[in-house]
Amino acid sequence: MTTRERWWAAVAYAGLAVAIAGTCGLMLTSHGTPGLRPAAAAQLDTQAAFPAPTAPIVAALPSGQPAAVAAPATLSIPEIGVSTRLTSLGLTAQGTVQVPPTTSVAGWYSHSPRPGAVGPAIILGHIDSLSGPGVFFRLPTLRPGDPVYLRRADGSTVEFVVTRVQTYLKARFPTEEVYGPTPDAELRLITCGGAFDASTSHYLSNIVVYATEAA
Amino acid sequence: MKHLWNIRRAVLLLVAAVLLLVAPAASATASTAGSSTANAGTGWIRLAHLSPNTPAVDVYLYSFGNPDAKIVLHHVGYGDVSPYLAVPAGEYSVAMRGAGAAPGSPPVLTASAWVQAGSAYTALAVGPRTDLRVRVYHDDLSTPSGRALVRVVQASMKHPQVTVSWGGAVLASKLPFASVTSYQPVAPGDQRVAVTSGADGAKSAVSLTAGSIHTLIVLDGAKGLEVVNLEDADGSSQLPQGGAQTGFGGTAPRGPESPLPWLTVIAGGVALAAGAGLGLRRRRFGRALSSAA
Repeated sequence: MTTRERWWAAVAYAGLAVAIAGTCGLMLTSHGTPGLRPAAAAQLDTQAAFPAPTAPIVAALPSGQPAAVAAPATLSIPEIGVSTRLTSLGLTAQGTVQVPPTTSVAGWYSHSPRPGAVGPAIILGHIDSLSGPGVFFRLPTLRPGDPVYLRRADGSTVEFVVTRVQTYLKARFPTEEVYGPTPDAELRLITCGGAFDASTSHYLSNIVVYATEAA
Repeated sequence: MKHLWNIRRAVLLLVAAVLLLVAPAASATASTAGSSTANAGTGWIRLAHLSPNTPAVDVYLYSFGNPDAKIVLHHVGYGDVSPYLAVPAGEYSVAMRGAGAAPGSPPVLTASAWVQAGSAYTALAVGPRTDLRVRVYHDDLSTPSGRALVRVVQASMKHPQVTVSWGGAVLASKLPFASVTSYQPVAPGDQRVAVTSGADGAKSAVSLTAGSIHTLIVLDGAKGLEVVNLEDADGSSQLPQGGAQTGFGGTAPRGPESPLPWLTVIAGGVALAAGAGLGLRRRRFGRALSSAA
């Protein structure tokens, strides 16, 4: 074997070494890392929430006009360890609800009904920040029947009960169903969920928790 | 020849390894996004007595085919309207008996109502006592953007026809007794509702906010016409559009990174090895030729 041949062989082995190193790199990075987010709670059969009554429900007739309620100040959801003050949110130029300025605080859309008044009060919170969990990180684990408490500016509190938890692709968000008028006092807790699109830095879905005022 | 054989075998092994690594990643593109279509399964129904000369009644709401009444309203008199009652979607029958009558006694009046999930209904007992009937109305639960919805129920028997206006807008003209208008969109605000019938009339200040839905009921009061304002439903004064960007991805599952940079490195290495292998072979071939000469 001449010096020239040895040189060619060395180059060939160097090329092989590069290719092997590349393969190792590929092997190390070809697996994703699991997310930190907890799995969504299993959907309960909502019919189960309405067992046939053994005795008739005797409804009372309303006594006059409902009293006006104060604006909400804080939100607490013991099941998932949420206790936060509420900022006031408006609309963006695109017509969507503004999001809270920080990921550790939830916000109430101030053009929606006040919690406890007739209609769906709308509350938004982040699921996470760039680095870790946000105030509504565990929102998807709520289940029908879980209580949600709101304290108002005048110190009074109002209790809601979760009726269902839905996941909607943002591209097919049912605006009327989520935000539209209701005949009773309701609550919508909204955060992000589903797949994360790294190219736009947005989640593809919204999680919506529906709740109604406790009887 | 040992070098050549080694290089060729190593290149083949590498190509096989890369294919094994990339193929599953490329095929793992199954979508995980989706929306639950589970239905809430709940609707609303409310009941009202709007027959001026019919005495008070007990109102029973039965789930269809179920003899056990789901809801009983006792001693419902003229002008009484129940709150909306949340009930599982399904078919119901409404039965009315004289106030205090035994629950098993034959009802004076029955009607059926089909309650759909997410929808609201009003069952009205209307007309004179001699022609009493129950009508079930499907109540609107959406408003045109920035507007309020309002409808009128005419339940005054003393005034066979009434005209109802809100501010400058006429909501109903010469509306006959026991009739109901459809919902009409109006500009929101604080206005005066005026009910007139000949020389008689009534006025009442009514506030209609954007996104709210109302029913105005015209009644025979103790001192002439009366108007009652019911808030059927309420929503946001400015309806938001679509969802919200409430996450930055700090806790999102990370998908596999693009294999392209590593594939480029591998291809470069393979090309280098293959090129050098070829050079080595040509070199040997040339040496063999020259030694043969």
